[in-house]
Amino acid sequence: MRIKFSQFICTAVLFVPALFGQEVTNQTLLHPPADSWPTYNGDYSGRRFSALRKINSANINSLSLAWAFRTGVSGGVFGASIKATPLLVNGVLYFTLPDYVWAVDARTGHELWHYHWDSKGGIHLGNRGVGIYGNWLYFETPDCNLVSLNTKSGKERWHKQICDLDQMYYASTAPVIVKNHLLTGVSGDDLDVPGYIEAHDLETGDLQWRWYAHPEPGQPEAASWPNTEAMLHGGGMTWGESTYDPELNLIYFGTGNPQPVIQGKGRLGDNLYTESIVALNPDNGKIAWYFQPSPHDTHDWDAIQTPVLIDGEIDGVKRKLLAQASRNGYFFVLDRTNGKDIVTKKFAAANWAKGLDAKGQPIPNPAKMPQEDGALVAPNQGGAANWPPPSFSPDTGLFYINATNAYSVYYIFDTDQKPEGWGGNDKGGYSELILKGIDYRTGAVKWAHKWEGQGGARSGVLSTAGNLVFAGDPSNNFVALNASTGEPLWHVNLGTAPSNGPITFELDGTQYLLVAAGDTLYSFAMLGK
Amino acid sequence: MTRIGKFCLAGIMLFSAVPGLARQLPDGKQKQTVLKLCGTCHSPNLVLGRGMTRAQWGDTISSMVARGAKGTPEEFSDVLDYLATNFPPKSGTPTPAPAAAAGTARPKPKSIGQGADDQQVVDEALADQGKKIYIAECITCHGPKARGANEGPPNLRGPDIVRSVVVLHDRYGSTIGAFLSKGHPTQSGTSSASFSAEQILDLSHFLHQRVGDTLRSGPFNSVLNVLTGDPKAGEAYFNGEGKCTTCHSAKADLAGIATRYDAPALQQRFLFPATPVYGGRSVRSRKPVMLTVTPPNGPAVTGELDRLDDFDVSLHDSAGDYHVWKRTPELKVEKNDPYAAHNALLEQITDKDIHDVVAYLETLK
Repeated sequence: MRIKFSQFICTAVLFVPALFGQEVTNQTLLHPPADSWPTYNGDYSGRRFSALRKINSANINSLSLAWAFRTGVSGGVFGASIKATPLLVNGVLYFTLPDYVWAVDARTGHELWHYHWDSKGGIHLGNRGVGIYGNWLYFETPDCNLVSLNTKSGKERWHKQICDLDQMYYASTAPVIVKNHLLTGVSGDDLDVPGYIEAHDLETGDLQWRWYAHPEPGQPEAASWPNTEAMLHGGGMTWGESTYDPELNLIYFGTGNPQPVIQGKGRLGDNLYTESIVALNPDNGKIAWYFQPSPHDTHDWDAIQTPVLIDGEIDGVKRKLLAQASRNGYFFVLDRTNGKDIVTKKFAAANWAKGLDAKGQPIPNPAKMPQEDGALVAPNQGGAANWPPPSFSPDTGLFYINATNAYSVYYIFDTDQKPEGWGGNDKGGYSELILKGIDYRTGAVKWAHKWEGQGGARSGVLSTAGNLVFAGDPSNNFVALNASTGEPLWHVNLGTAPSNGPITFELDGTQYLLVAAGDTLYSFAMLGK
Repeated sequence: MTRIGKFCLAGIMLFSAVPGLARQLPDGKQKQTVLKLCGTCHSPNLVLGRGMTRAQWGDTISSMVARGAKGTPEEFSDVLDYLATNFPPKSGTPTPAPAAAAGTARPKPKSIGQGADDQQVVDEALADQGKKIYIAECITCHGPKARGANEGPPNLRGPDIVRSVVVLHDRYGSTIGAFLSKGHPTQSGTSSASFSAEQILDLSHFLHQRVGDTLRSGPFNSVLNVLTGDPKAGEAYFNGEGKCTTCHSAKADLAGIATRYDAPALQQRFLFPATPVYGGRSVRSRKPVMLTVTPPNGPAVTGELDRLDDFDVSLHDSAGDYHVWKRTPELKVEKNDPYAAHNALLEQITDKDIHDVVAYLETLK
């Protein structure tokens, strides 16, 4: 009897979450259990590191395919590549394509439901996933709507407009939940409109606050623009996902390019708060500090890459740090209490700056701004890094980034007295992809693994306590490398480039590894029997 | 099944998921190649309704290759042939032109899907009529491109109306008409409230056209002039520091190069020769990357690279036979990239050198 009873208890413990789903609370988000991935980056730090070690550098070659889930969706101008990081709660995965949300059983790959939003337009370039709180999902649509769905049924609760499609905004980010705030960002650099980030009520979707990516007229930072009209039409989209330090009660995110994009002569100055890493109080949207990776950008190098929070040690002193491998080719480490620069160092080819200013920000070289006859610039518009998330392992102390050395020629097309919109672009190019492990204390590259082949898979990176780092290569391989040395250990060719940030979690004592490639989500595990 | 076969199947399956889409692409012998190379990321919607010159399609393909598109040079040439044949420019060859120049044939703006699906489709003829009204009634205060006037008497400095939310929300005069019906100063002194519905519609088309011109896909986004260098200095660089004569000769392979490529294409091609398509030219003559693979117990095999990653290597030998190996520390792989010197140049060459070399190449007629 007792044996049977304990078997029952074991069984009940294992299957309770699957049968009686637990609501996601702030505690779930602050301390994610091993059987979950409840927010875009897995946790608020943005480091995409898992403490799981059942899959490790010693046994990785026993990994096998557990299941594959194909969306069956194509179409849209940009196709239907899964860029979303799936969220996992109660054994169910939730992920998106533009206008679509799926709920899929994480154990079997079986679809529970999917939801389709009837779109009225907008750029369908990608969607990076849902946010989850309680029994509710939240996601953004290309036509500027924030939609809330029931996790169990996929039925819509409400939707709210978060941007103006006619001003050619669109929405692509995964909403992030902090306390009782639902944080939403906006995209779109076609017209000269300002970027902003919003907080919404979790129950009603009502607006709590909006922070614009520009100073108010009259503030000292407004002097970084030639005039108020340029500033109020100056861009700075907020299409990255925020990280959060609960002790400091600050959210961190990056802003995108200034407008007009390539032709900067109508907006002389640093153009704050575009191309900036920004710290805000999530309760009121007030800015605490900013740091600008690309003052007066003219290369479309959105600084929206994940601001990864590292609790580290520099010169024997414990520090609250923030690290970003920025699209402009520079690796920055800041003190996240105040935004002061600690490290600024190139992590990829970058020929556009003539030095660093007193704040540690690169100083753009006017000769490497776009020219009528062309300027050869590194990195190219795609950047040394882009939206695919990097990873930081506290075990190795390394920040992992799939870095691109890339060159292109930047041209000015519009010589009007008042350029608008684009007014130029880059052309052609050469690029090579190198996975790098960077020492966060110095920016020094501890190891670099150059992938064969031109071009770059824009896959994200995951690191684990199994001394592993996972990333995509340009040959459609999904690869596991030794996190300490960069030696490739295992791979699978998915036929299409890995297209999202991989995740890992444990269910029923089995560690799973998930990655998307094109229209398919792949699950790997060590399946004992 | 071959790798190519798998790719084709994937492309067909991708498009077949939405019935009818693949059928909308015109038939052609290269259609399957287009589906294969482009279909991984794009739907046919991307090209349907577009029109560009061969050079512009070449630029687009080069750009896609730089962003990771995969295929052989022959396949990219097929894609170029197909797109240039089936999707030529809608109206004349696009050339940079002042927007206010009356009567210029305008290329059709391209779209990446930005904005609302029901946004106004500009009627070029009505926009031309709208331009006449604009010049007669509005241009003094709002400027030649409707971007506002920052100079002149203060009472004549009108705001930027490309950035006006009234204009951006407009559909065929819906909000512009409502605004003007309230009465707005005009150059002629005629009250805007007296504008006819036809005039409002014409103005609406003209203003939406002005907005479209500012997009990244705007019709006038092309290189203005790259011939700013010194051909003598370019020749010196070519024969000296650039070490171009290691592989090239102005009297042999590059003789007449400027008759085959325009100057912007020359610039892009000499900097990025490994990008398979330039300035509208097919590149079937592109030199392959050569590999020599030496197994521990066998003779060396040399051939054209098929695939090389951390795990496998494959090539086609001179007889056309396919060879593949699993990579091990004992397997020796030598790679000979004919464009390695060009790639290395990117880290060294100055913009002055670039423009000097292009000026020199332009003399090779």
